[in-house]
Amino acid sequence: MKKFIDIIIKLGSVDRRYIFVLVGLSVLIPLIYPLEIPIRPTQQSQDVFNAIDALPPNSKVLVSFEYGPSTKPEIHPMSMALLRQLFGKGFKVYATALWPDGIFMSNDAFAIMETEFPLEYGVDYVNLGFKPGNEAVVKGIASDIRTLYTTDARLNQISNIPMMEGINDVSDFDFVFSLSAGYPGTKEWVQYACDPHNIPMSTGCTSIQVTEVLPYVANGQVKGILAGMPGAAEYEKLINHPGKATGRMAAQSFAHLVIVAFIIFGNITYFVQRKREQKK
Amino acid sequence: MLTTELIGAWFSVFLTLGIISYLYDDNPFYKAAEHIFVGVSAGYWVSLFFWTQVQPNLFGRLWPRLTEGTEYGFFHRLWYGIYNILGSINSGIFPENGIEGHPEIRMIYLIPLILGIFMLLRLVPKVGWLARWAIAYIVGMAAGLRFYGFLNSDVMEQIKSTTINFSGDWIVLINGIIMVVGTLTGLLYFFFSKEHTGVFGKLSKIGIYFLMISFGASFGFAVMGRISLLIGRFDDLIKYSGREYHNATFWLLALMILLLFVWAFTGKKEQDKATA
Repeated sequence: MKKFIDIIIKLGSVDRRYIFVLVGLSVLIPLIYPLEIPIRPTQQSQDVFNAIDALPPNSKVLVSFEYGPSTKPEIHPMSMALLRQLFGKGFKVYATALWPDGIFMSNDAFAIMETEFPLEYGVDYVNLGFKPGNEAVVKGIASDIRTLYTTDARLNQISNIPMMEGINDVSDFDFVFSLSAGYPGTKEWVQYACDPHNIPMSTGCTSIQVTEVLPYVANGQVKGILAGMPGAAEYEKLINHPGKATGRMAAQSFAHLVIVAFIIFGNITYFVQRKREQKK
Repeated sequence: MLTTELIGAWFSVFLTLGIISYLYDDNPFYKAAEHIFVGVSAGYWVSLFFWTQVQPNLFGRLWPRLTEGTEYGFFHRLWYGIYNILGSINSGIFPENGIEGHPEIRMIYLIPLILGIFMLLRLVPKVGWLARWAIAYIVGMAAGLRFYGFLNSDVMEQIKSTTINFSGDWIVLINGIIMVVGTLTGLLYFFFSKEHTGVFGKLSKIGIYFLMISFGASFGFAVMGRISLLIGRFDDLIKYSGREYHNATFWLLALMILLLFVWAFTGKKEQDKATA
């Protein structure tokens, strides 16, 4: 027994680089040899789906791209799934970006959507592009969109874009969706646009942001939430179009299992060692 | 064939492996990747903000494009005389006849221009104090702008959500009670005007448990987020290991391991010499 405890204590002080290698392998192997794991949508993802699904025909949806390449693996699959649902239902999509890299993400997403749906720029969707100013931009969209945007991302005059007719501020949209990876993002849309003007909104955000946004979800200020990569995978399941997030969930799950195992093992080692020191 | 995509792929693999190599030790590859990232980010942001904000929204509003065939008065000619001087310095920023995008001159934008110049005067020690005016404006404006948002969405609305709904079923009722207890005891923990002893101490201890659960949830989500990012990078490394990218991942990985081995070996030798 003493030998066994010695081994446990010794393993507890193993070089952290072995742990890195194990976590790395737990991610890499399922990516090289994909595994299908069952995905069950949570109530929060279902709420997002239901809120959008319940919108009347020809609804105008403002989609804000607040993420960049660093958070692309988590948010981009959500963007694709969301746009598939929106275009599938024939809604008008107005894209904006509070992050400078957001415009690259929206361009990429729309380029793929154009291969899947018969879309016409300016009629089915418009990309308003990036504006610096963080919450001031959200406030600008909330109060007067035409002062803020004189041209779209393709440098077309806003007044010449057919689907911009009648769009003057955030209350002209039926729904707002924030694809957010931090500041400025979901919080700013809630505080400066959707709460003051009573516009329904929902969000898909990075895992790290979830606990910050959940109080808004619990209070109904945000209609559901797509939480990180699992949220994206659940949404892909809901729209019945498995994508990148679904394929990556095995890697995510295995890595979590390894990390949980290390946390449990670390705690056991800590308590065993403490008990031994107390005995001394 | 050498294409921009191919160069981009190799560069992306190099930077990814360079950053990951930090897990082994702080090394030249990591340092190179880190410095490139910081430099490129700073340059990208400055250029982006200048061309999307300062040039079109500030200069563009001060000197909008003149309409051809219109007779302008003395003020206009004087104002655009200044513009032409600036244009002779850099016609890219100040193109001939004004900047496209805005219909009329907005003199109010002289205030942000002056405040912006004040901000840059920080670099001149004698008049650096002028930057405080610009900072005072930013702080005041941000505080005012955020005050309403926080008060409405984070205070009033959140207080509303902690009320117990007695009309719902028993699960809703229990949830409501947990929410109220958690909120109140959590707030009590941060009340430092009274010593945390007796009943007050016990209540604040309950608050700590709620806070710990909340931090645990945050930690769990943070781990999930980091793993997602790792998946993203690995996905790219797998993609770029293919033949169409000339096996960029394998070549660079092999080269890095070899050079890191040499670096570690020579570094150890030097260290031994220093200690000897």
